Amino acid sequence: MQLQYFLLIAAALFCIGIYGLVTSRNAVRVLMSIELMLNAVNLNLVAFANYLDPQGIKGQVFTTFVIAIAAAEAAVGLAIVLSIYRNRDTIDMEQFNLLKW
Amino acid sequence: MSHPLVQSMWLIPLYTMLGAALSFFLFSGITRRTGPRPAGYLNIVMTLTAFIHSSIALIYAWDAPAVDFSVPWLNVASLDLSIPFHIDAAAITACVVITGLNLMAQVFAMGYLEMDWGWARFFSLMAFFEAGMNFLVLTDSLFFSYIALELLTLGTYLLVGLWFNQSLVVTGARDAFLTKRIGDLFLLMGVVALLPIAGTWNYTELAEWAKTADVDPTLMGLLGFALLFGPMGKCAQFPLHLWLDEAMEGPVPGTILRNAIVVQVGAWVVVKLQPVLSLSPPVRTATLVIGSITAVGGALIAIAQVDIKRNLSYPTSAYMGLVFIAVGTGHTQAALLLSVTHALGMALMVMSSSAVIWNSVTQDVTQLGGLWSRRPISGISLAIGAAGLVALPPFGGFWAILRLVEDLWASHSPLCFVVLAVNLFLSFSFTRLFCRVFLGQPGQMSERCPEVHWPMALPMVVTTGFMLHVPILLSVVGLLPDWLSLDKGIALVVIWSTLTGIGGAAAIYLGNFVQKPVRLPWPGLQDLFAYDFYTPQLYRNTVVLVVSLFSKLVNWFDQYLIDGIANFFGLATLVSGQSLKYSTSGQSQFYILTILLGLTVIGLWLSLPLLSNLSVIQP
Repeated sequence: MQLQYFLLIAAALFCIGIYGLVTSRNAVRVLMSIELMLNAVNLNLVAFANYLDPQGIKGQVFTTFVIAIAAAEAAVGLAIVLSIYRNRDTIDMEQFNLLKW
Repeated sequence: MSHPLVQSMWLIPLYTMLGAALSFFLFSGITRRTGPRPAGYLNIVMTLTAFIHSSIALIYAWDAPAVDFSVPWLNVASLDLSIPFHIDAAAITACVVITGLNLMAQVFAMGYLEMDWGWARFFSLMAFFEAGMNFLVLTDSLFFSYIALELLTLGTYLLVGLWFNQSLVVTGARDAFLTKRIGDLFLLMGVVALLPIAGTWNYTELAEWAKTADVDPTLMGLLGFALLFGPMGKCAQFPLHLWLDEAMEGPVPGTILRNAIVVQVGAWVVVKLQPVLSLSPPVRTATLVIGSITAVGGALIAIAQVDIKRNLSYPTSAYMGLVFIAVGTGHTQAALLLSVTHALGMALMVMSSSAVIWNSVTQDVTQLGGLWSRRPISGISLAIGAAGLVALPPFGGFWAILRLVEDLWASHSPLCFVVLAVNLFLSFSFTRLFCRVFLGQPGQMSERCPEVHWPMALPMVVTTGFMLHVPILLSVVGLLPDWLSLDKGIALVVIWSTLTGIGGAAAIYLGNFVQKPVRLPWPGLQDLFAYDFYTPQLYRNTVVLVVSLFSKLVNWFDQYLIDGIANFFGLATLVSGQSLKYSTSGQSQFYILTILLGLTVIGLWLSLPLLSNLSVIQP
C-alpha cells in the first residue's frame, strides 16, 4: 500500500463529487456531492497523517474538525434547501436561475 | 529736410480709417433715430482732408528726394517686420489720384445712394478701401503690400455684398473674394519664398538685388509666377477675370472705385516688382501672353455685352492687360501712365453710365437710346471718358498708348499689333455704348429720363475737367514727347486704329444698313463673346468640380472611415458587454463549475514546473 493510491482514490472521489455537484438537478444531491468532496479531503488528510506524520497525526485532528464542520454545513444547507422549497415548491436546481444577466 | 506734410504722409491712410471707424456709430442698428447720412458727410470730409494733405505734399515733394522711414511693427528673433514707407513723388501722386477719385466717388454716392439706408456701411467700406490703397502705395515693402491687398480683398467682398438680400450679389461677392484670394495666396507663397533668396522685402532693395542676382532659373521662374499670380487676380486678368464681371452687382459708386483704382493696386505691385519679374524670361513671356489674351479677349467681350456696367468692366480687364504688356516688356513708365489715364477715364465712364442707370432703371443698352438731347452732361462725360481711354489725341490715353506702342516698336513689334487691335476694339466698344445709350431713337426705358441732380453731376463735371487737363499736366511734368522726336508714322497708325473703331461702330449703330439688334453671321461666335467665353462653366467644370469632388471624398472619408474606426471601438465594447453578460447564467452550479475550472487552470499553471520535472524524471 502506498500513499499515492490513497491520494488517487481521494482525487477520484473528489472528481465524482465535482461531477455530482455540477450536474445534479436535485438540490439535496448537490449537498450530498459536497459531502463526497469533503470525504475525499478527509481521506487525503488521514492518508497524509498516516504516511508522513505518524507521530503528530495532525491530519487526523483536522479530519475531526472537517467532519464536525461538514455536519454543521449539511444542516445549514438542508435548512436553506427547505426554505427555498417552501417558497418555490421545488428543489430543482434548473429552476433557481432568477439571478441571471 | 523735407516738408512736414511730406513727413506726415503716413497719416493719409489713418484719416480715412478714422472715418471708417466713426461711421460705425451711425449704423442704422446703433443710431436709430437720425439716419446714417452723417457717415457720408464725415467720410467725405476725411477724404477731402487726405486729398488736400497729399496735394500740398505733392508740391513740396515733386523735385525733392524720396523720404524713407519705417515704423516698427514686430521684431521677433531675427525677423524684423518694420513698416517701411517710401514717399516719393510717384507715391504721393498715386495718393492724390486715389483720394481725389474717392472724393468724386463719395460725392457721387451721396447722390446715388439717396434712397438707401446703408450709408454708414457703404461709406465706412469706401473709407476702408481708401485706407488700404493709400497704405499700399505708400509702403515700400512687398510684405505690407500683401497685407494691404488682403485688406482690399476683404473690402471687395463686403462692398460687393452690400445689398446682400440679392442672390446674385451674394454669388458675385463670393466669386470676387475667392478668385482674388487665390491670387493673393499664390502671391503669399511668392512673398514667403522671396525672403530667403533676396533677403529683403523692400522694393528699392529688391530692385538693387535684382540687378546683380544670380538665381537658379527654375526657382526664379516659379517664384516669378507666384508673384505674378496675385496681381493677375487683382487686375482681373485671364483666367481670373470672372469676378470683375460679377462684382458689377455691387453698388455703383463702389464700382467706380473698383474699376478705377482697386484693379490698379495689382498693377502697382506688378510695376514695383518688375525688376524681380524680369529676372525670369518665362515669367516675362507669361506676363505678355496673359496681358495680350486679356486685352484682346476683354475688348472683344466688351463689344458683345448688353449690360452697360459689364460693358465697362471688360475694358478694365483689357486695359490692365495693356499694363501687363507694358510691365512684361519692362516699360514701367508707360504702365504708370496707362494706369493714371485709365483711372480717370474709367471713373468718368462708370459715373456717367451710373447716372444713366439711376434715372433709367435698366442697365440693358438695347432698351436705352436717344439721351443726348436731354442728358448732355452724362453724354459729354461718357464721351470724354472714352476719348481719354482710347488713343484719341489730344487726350491722355493717346499719349499713354502712343508711349507704349513706341516702346514696343523697337523690341516687341508683334505686340504693337495687339495694342493697336485692343485700341481698335475698345474704340468700337465705347462708341457702340455711346451710340446705343445717347444716340438713335429713345428706347423703351429712356422715353422720359431727366438729367441727374447735383451730387452726381458735380463729380462727373469735375472729373471731366480733370480728364481734359491730363495732357496739359503731362506736358507740365515733362511726360509728353516733344514734337520733333515724335514718331509721326506710329502716331498716325495709332490714331487710325482709333478712328477705324469709332467709325465702324458709328456706321453700324447710327446707319440704317445693318439690322438691329445686330447679329453676327455666326451666332455661336457672338454668344461666345456675350457669355464671356463661358468662363463660369469653365470654372465649374474644372477647378470648382475638382475641389468639390475632392471635398466630398474627404468628407466621406472622414465621416465613414475616420469616424467609423472611432465608433467601431465604442460599438465593439457595447456588443461585447451585451454578449458577455450571458456568462452570468443564473445557474449557481454553473458558477461553481467556473470556480472549479479557474482553480484547475491556476493549479495546472502553478504546478507546471513540477509537471515538467516529472516528465523528465519519468523515463
